[in-house]
Amino acid sequence: METLLEKIKDRVSVNFDLKDHKIYADQKRVDLFFKKEHIPSVLLYLKEQMDFRHLMHMSVIDWLEEGEFEVIFLLWAPKEKIKVFVKTRIDRENPVMENMDNIWPQLNTYEREFKEMYGIEFPGLVAPEEFILEAWTGPPPMRRDFETDKFAKDNFATRPGREDAQDVRETIAKRSGEDIPDFAKKYSR
Amino acid sequence: MEREKATTLYIGPQHPGITGNMMVRLKVEGDTIVGARTEVGYLHRAFEKLVERRNWVQSFTMMCRFCVPEPDPVEESYARAVEMLDKIEIPERAKWIRVLVLELARMSSLLLWHAGQGHSLGLYTMGQWSVGDRNYILDLFEELTGARIYHMFIWPGGVRRDFPEGFEDKVLRTMDYLEKRLEDYDNLLFENSIFQKRTQGVGYVSPEKIIEHGVVGPVLRGSGIKSDIRIDDPYEVYDKLDFVVPTQPGGDIWARALVRRVEIRQSISIIRQVIENIPKGEVYTKVPNPQKWKIPRGDAYARTESVRGEVGMFVASDGGRKPRRVHFRGAAYVHAVTLLEDVLIGQNIADVSAIMNSLGTCPPEIER
Repeated sequence: METLLEKIKDRVSVNFDLKDHKIYADQKRVDLFFKKEHIPSVLLYLKEQMDFRHLMHMSVIDWLEEGEFEVIFLLWAPKEKIKVFVKTRIDRENPVMENMDNIWPQLNTYEREFKEMYGIEFPGLVAPEEFILEAWTGPPPMRRDFETDKFAKDNFATRPGREDAQDVRETIAKRSGEDIPDFAKKYSR
Repeated sequence: MEREKATTLYIGPQHPGITGNMMVRLKVEGDTIVGARTEVGYLHRAFEKLVERRNWVQSFTMMCRFCVPEPDPVEESYARAVEMLDKIEIPERAKWIRVLVLELARMSSLLLWHAGQGHSLGLYTMGQWSVGDRNYILDLFEELTGARIYHMFIWPGGVRRDFPEGFEDKVLRTMDYLEKRLEDYDNLLFENSIFQKRTQGVGYVSPEKIIEHGVVGPVLRGSGIKSDIRIDDPYEVYDKLDFVVPTQPGGDIWARALVRRVEIRQSISIIRQVIENIPKGEVYTKVPNPQKWKIPRGDAYARTESVRGEVGMFVASDGGRKPRRVHFRGAAYVHAVTLLEDVLIGQNIADVSAIMNSLGTCPPEIER
């Protein structure tokens, strides 16, 4: 298995500027790292020339501390029965990736989601403005620096009587004018 | 003034036959669909965001909620991805129990599919029968896991507990019963001329669309391609089991229905094999204290064959106590968006629900 994965790496590196690679023989998987400019041609090559026809998944990891997004394409070769993870890093402040839904139309859905959730731009992406979020004006919510609590407090009101960190038993007891039973007191704050 | 030829028609967000909410905006000319657009956003629960604030075991409790009708493949994918990352070897018996749970979940989900596919064509008796019979499987789940729908049973390290006393016999008795019932299903659904006429030649998925849209599962097999992750990229103990992967060349709803018809019988066969061959031993490898469990930096992708096709979990760790990223891939993410939009063109309005059901539309998989 290791030889086969090594061969795949060698074949790709002849045609493209491979930055790095990693082999996981137990997972039948090879990871290939490229600059983002090379990704469309690498994907097209793997799909058309090397039997990696099935796009299993596309994912983004936010490496906030490193100021980068890692974009990953997970491919599967049905004949060879092996996986290739094509990886690249893009700048977090100005995240732009080439639109690749001409290679696999299903990428259109992924790109729409990542545009909304991470703020990654895919120039040339043809799709309706909104996918999951509706009339969203806040920062992209899946970014790790998105402050969930602050966003909720800024945008949503708390229903009177249901402020945060209250004891529900006490509130209910107070509302109904009853005492908290002895057995339940030990659970009260 | 020129009149618009096409009318916009909204189907959903409530549907009979699919689990969850999703709208399809159609452009129709008369009864014929000339344009379709999937609209989601009705049930986003931000699970993938929530897990960033929870440790590896706390995150696991959310995994089953990604997909309501068949939660176990999602749990299994997450557990296996975590085990890959931390290089945990689970006991052999746990692998066999996992297969049993996955196959019971497949049967339960296929019985729901019978109901949904029947309902979408006005055959309501099918749903009453199959949902009733599904309860026998849920009874087994309740006895094994303590829960009927969300089991939280397959977790990193193995499974939560071993079979209760006499459980194997109950499983076998249930399988005998369901196998007999499948003959009734044939009479009611597959030999029903209404079902045949409404499904043959409808919702055609051509082989060209398969690669473009990343089609998986029964939709792929219903277009004549023999592919099943349990065979192609075996996990747990599927390589030790004997089963058939059915295919049909038609590419329409009927072909996919015939594929599923065989699959439910294959699940019964697999479950019997598991009960017969399961080894004795432990069911769980001890993992570190969840509050202190750190997993080395890296990423892993584990995928499982569900009723709808490939479901997978991409998990990345930064070396800490919480996941850096958990990203779920559901079959419906492609089937119910780009593929559905493509397949619906040229179809009749009355067939939309049947096509959606046949493609394995599960909106919770699209927006997690």
